[in-house]
Amino acid sequence: MNKGKIVSIHSFRGGTGKSNTTANLAAQVAMAGKRVGVVDTDIQSPGIHVLFGLDENKMGKTMNDFLHGKATIREIGFSIGDHSSGGEGRAKLAGKNLWLFPSSIRGREISQILKEGIDFNLLNEGLQKTITEFDLDYLFIDTHPGLNEETLLSIATSDILIIILRPDNQDLQGTSVTVDIARSLDVPNLLLMVNKALPKYDFAELKKEIEDKFNAPVTGILPLSFDLADNASNDLFSLRFPDHDWSKALRGVAEAVLAVE
Amino acid sequence: MKSDVLNQLQKTTIFKNVSDDVLAEVAVKASTRKLAKDEILMRKGEKGDSLFLIHDGWVKIVTVDSKGDELIINKCGPGEMIGEMALLDGIPRSATVIALSDAEVLELKQDVFEEILKQRADVSLAIIRSYSERLRFSTTYIEKAIDWSQKTAEGDYSFAEQAQPLINSAGSDDDKAAQLLSAFFAMVRKVKEREDGLKQQLEKLTFEIDQARRKQEFEEITGTEFYANLKEQARALRQKRAQG
Ligand SMILES: Nc1ncnc2c1ncn2[C@@H]1O[C@H](COP(=O)(O)OP(=O)(O)OP(=O)(O)O)[C@@H](O)[C@H]1O
Ligand SMILES: [Mg+2]
Repeated sequence: MNKGKIVSIHSFRGGTGKSNTTANLAAQVAMAGKRVGVVDTDIQSPGIHVLFGLDENKMGKTMNDFLHGKATIREIGFSIGDHSSGGEGRAKLAGKNLWLFPSSIRGREISQILKEGIDFNLLNEGLQKTITEFDLDYLFIDTHPGLNEETLLSIATSDILIIILRPDNQDLQGTSVTVDIARSLDVPNLLLMVNKALPKYDFAELKKEIEDKFNAPVTGILPLSFDLADNASNDLFSLRFPDHDWSKALRGVAEAVLAVE
Repeated sequence: MKSDVLNQLQKTTIFKNVSDDVLAEVAVKASTRKLAKDEILMRKGEKGDSLFLIHDGWVKIVTVDSKGDELIINKCGPGEMIGEMALLDGIPRSATVIALSDAEVLELKQDVFEEILKQRADVSLAIIRSYSERLRFSTTYIEKAIDWSQKTAEGDYSFAEQAQPLINSAGSDDDKAAQLLSAFFAMVRKVKEREDGLKQQLEKLTFEIDQARRKQEFEEITGTEFYANLKEQARALRQKRAQG
């Protein structure tokens, strides 16, 4: 049996920084010498593939084709290590073991898959096959916000679930439900991460308060940063600016992922 | 009067190595000018053709900052020399000089100054020496100031508590250096205070979770047949993985 771990990145609301976090985490874990896959669930919007510097038109077959039996997983994995161009940060990934697996080109496609009866077991087999074929240590899944069916599927299959939240009441309320769901679905490792935290807050207090509320570890508090907002889509920020506070906090989250047994 | 002038010349830094008989000659050629408080002695941008030795009273050396406000660069008093730069480099006055109080200055015209320099190698040498002394002194401070600026930028303020002012024999330059030092250290302390203040002001964020709403939303999601199936399958999967 395979030891590769499925890591889902989720948030209650949209725009919390899931795609940026997923891409940077995957990159950091690959930089640590691990074999890493990333499922890009959202290639119609500026998501993961853009951060890796890829053009959606070049990506060809998707996970959907694979789930429909129209493509092999080998045909879908797109090697970032072999195509790490255009960006000072991305260039550092040259030769690393990192693959991107595009999926769900149009919003409707994934729900169609659900309707057609591609169930949890099939999806899970697909993910396991991806792990086996590419001999992955980690497979990251960038999910959609909210708790719709497809998101519940990826939570249910996760070995590690990272919930990203913004430090405000609305997000904490929504996150509390996600935490309960993750526990109900027996996710073995639940990690929290705060993003877009205003630097005026006391981060140590914030960490303590959130950990007390949810009884789960806060693995990093990443500051709201104009530098990131400025650059994010052009490059992998944490590789490009390793000394930035955002990058340092992100590496803390990557270490927490690597530390999971 | 002229012995008075001689007296003053002896006290100026630039003439400190020059013998009295030479200074007596210079004194004869210098003329005295009286300034009323707020009177302008020289203006920035003017061509300069004389230097001044302050005999009595105080003047301020000013320029205009980017907002158009007067910025005092320095204050000079008895024994100090001003305006000599323009004589040597021929570049227009770099700042305006205004009397802070009623004052008396000795004026030395360019031709007189140059005549002395030409005829008296010892005076030229004395002037060169005093310049190089000043330059060396400034350079040391510039190096220090660069070092301190870098430390401040990195958030290391320890030097402001430790550093001792450099001691130098260059008379009134010590005062200016001390002024620079104290202005610099005062700035660093203010920056540090402000930073410490900000650290203390870090806000604490408190949240309230509506537990009833939390429960209700959880039940809405978990109450479906889809969820019941998923939970069952997930449990089976986790068991399988644990065994695998
Ligand atoms: N810490 C931060 N500081 C400032 N801007 C940030 C930060 N994190 C992310 N952003 C910006 O917020 C926007 C949303 O980020 P991202 O696309 O990663 O979020 P997402 O959760 O994947 O969004 P969606 O829910 O739409 O998929 C981007 O423009 C990104 O540059
Ligand atoms: Mg996204």
